[in-house]
Amino acid sequence: MKLSPFGQTRALTSQIDEFLDQVSESGLVLAQAYERYVEQGVDDSSEQRLQQLIDLEARADQLRRSIQTTMYSEMLIPESRGDVLGLLHELDDLVDRFKASFLTITIEKPEIPVELREDFKSLVESMGQAVDHTVRAARAYFRNYREVRDLVHKVSYFESESDRIAIRLRKAIFASKLPIERKRELREGVLRIERMANAAEDVGDRLTICAIKRSL
Amino acid sequence: MDVTAIIFLTSGLVLGWSLGANDGANVFGTAVGSRMLRFGTATAIGAIFVVLGAVVSGAGATEGLTELGAVNKLAGAFTVALAAAVTVAGMSRIGMPVSTTQAIVGGIVGWNFFSGERTDVATLLTIVSTWVAGPVLGAIFAIVLYRLTALVTRVVRLHLLWVDHLTRLGLVLAGALGAYSLGANNVANVMGVFAPTTPLPTVTVAGVTIPALQQLFLLGGLAMAVGLFYSRRVMLTVGRGLMPVNPIGAWVVVVAHSLVLLMFSSRQLESWLLAAGLPGIPLVPVSSTQAVVGAVIGVGLARGFKSARQIRVRLLAGIAIGWVVTPLIAALLCFFMLFFMQNVFGQDVHQAAPTSASF
Repeated sequence: MKLSPFGQTRALTSQIDEFLDQVSESGLVLAQAYERYVEQGVDDSSEQRLQQLIDLEARADQLRRSIQTTMYSEMLIPESRGDVLGLLHELDDLVDRFKASFLTITIEKPEIPVELREDFKSLVESMGQAVDHTVRAARAYFRNYREVRDLVHKVSYFESESDRIAIRLRKAIFASKLPIERKRELREGVLRIERMANAAEDVGDRLTICAIKRSL
Repeated sequence: MDVTAIIFLTSGLVLGWSLGANDGANVFGTAVGSRMLRFGTATAIGAIFVVLGAVVSGAGATEGLTELGAVNKLAGAFTVALAAAVTVAGMSRIGMPVSTTQAIVGGIVGWNFFSGERTDVATLLTIVSTWVAGPVLGAIFAIVLYRLTALVTRVVRLHLLWVDHLTRLGLVLAGALGAYSLGANNVANVMGVFAPTTPLPTVTVAGVTIPALQQLFLLGGLAMAVGLFYSRRVMLTVGRGLMPVNPIGAWVVVVAHSLVLLMFSSRQLESWLLAAGLPGIPLVPVSSTQAVVGAVIGVGLARGFKSARQIRVRLLAGIAIGWVVTPLIAALLCFFMLFFMQNVFGQDVHQAAPTSASF
């Protein structure tokens, strides 16, 4: 064993915090980007947001790899290493989904009918809240795992809210007089956002198990 | 100094090696088993501190053991240690958990029977009572320490990585303490029987006088230290055998075990207790294995019912049977070996009048 100096633990702790910052920021940027897109369609600001998401995703990837290498090479947290690295991997996947989802929007540029815009914004907001509480639960796992359960409960709440809004939206889309190809395009958009909320909930479920393991 | 005398000491050295190989696992087994410490680091720390413990604080428990029976011929001491070593090796080979303390106590009682010496029943009862008190105290210390640690981690809310870092540091310090206490308490098992007949002369090096007893303890400590390097397999068995223990649990187990061993070796603690009008603690060698088993059970109990039911009762029963069988086998074996030593090899294994030195 290398008795790592305090500096190394401090550095790794900062890296994990920074990684979680990237995930949190990605969620916020995505929510803002979608909100503006619903109102204005694709413009310069959308391209800037997309670039932000790409940068955040690249940095998150880099941090996750660095954390993983340090944990294995220094044999850190042998009991929880698998849980922690699995958790970071799933959060990293979430950031990838954010980028991919908005990239698709900027390429396909689906137009959102005015009467559906409020529900789209609500859906994006619920998804954003689910992601935000997932990151909070992940932070709690590292510092105070007893809070994880409460936070994961909120993640589930916002995911259910997203499901509810998504169903309402899909019904409204298919009840409208839009051409079938536009209906399908909009349905895909709704499902993409809903899937991100589902992915956040999956991370929450994993966190619940990890927190229980820490408490034993 | 007679070469035969040195040869006679080899049984003690073998016993020391075997003790290091088996009981070193009690100090670092949970830490190595839970992958918090590397085997090499654990043994290096252990080797240094086990020698220090033996040399600095080995006298207390040795006195206690000598009261049970002062083996007054070197050939007798050789046979007692050999019988204990063979018992420990045999029991280990068939996979039975074994305590060197019980083996040596059985050996001394066997010598007492053979030589017609009176076995001090009060001392024997005191030693036997520590076989119960050791694990019970280990469990109590572990419960208190585990609860305290859990309380501190809840209040301080340390980051997972800091908990890991501090646990590693704690395991190194606890391991050093554990190795010191193992040397201090258990060197009596290894070299205690040779104390009344030590063949080593007092030497003076650079103006510092090293008494014969201290040299015996140094040899015993070194033998134990060498044994530590052969303890990898046992460490992994202890670390994962009785019950799954997490890294903090591992730290608690090592500290609780060390406290038990120190209690039964510390002259200072005994004099403080006596000065305070409290009953003194007998300074006798106690089983490191028993202390660890008690501490592991203590951690299980402190973690609650769900954890306690993971204790492997069958393994526990095996350990308990080993504790009863070991002294009996060692006593019988010692008796027969003394017979052969005296009648076949023509060695004096006892003399009627006790003496402090035969050579």
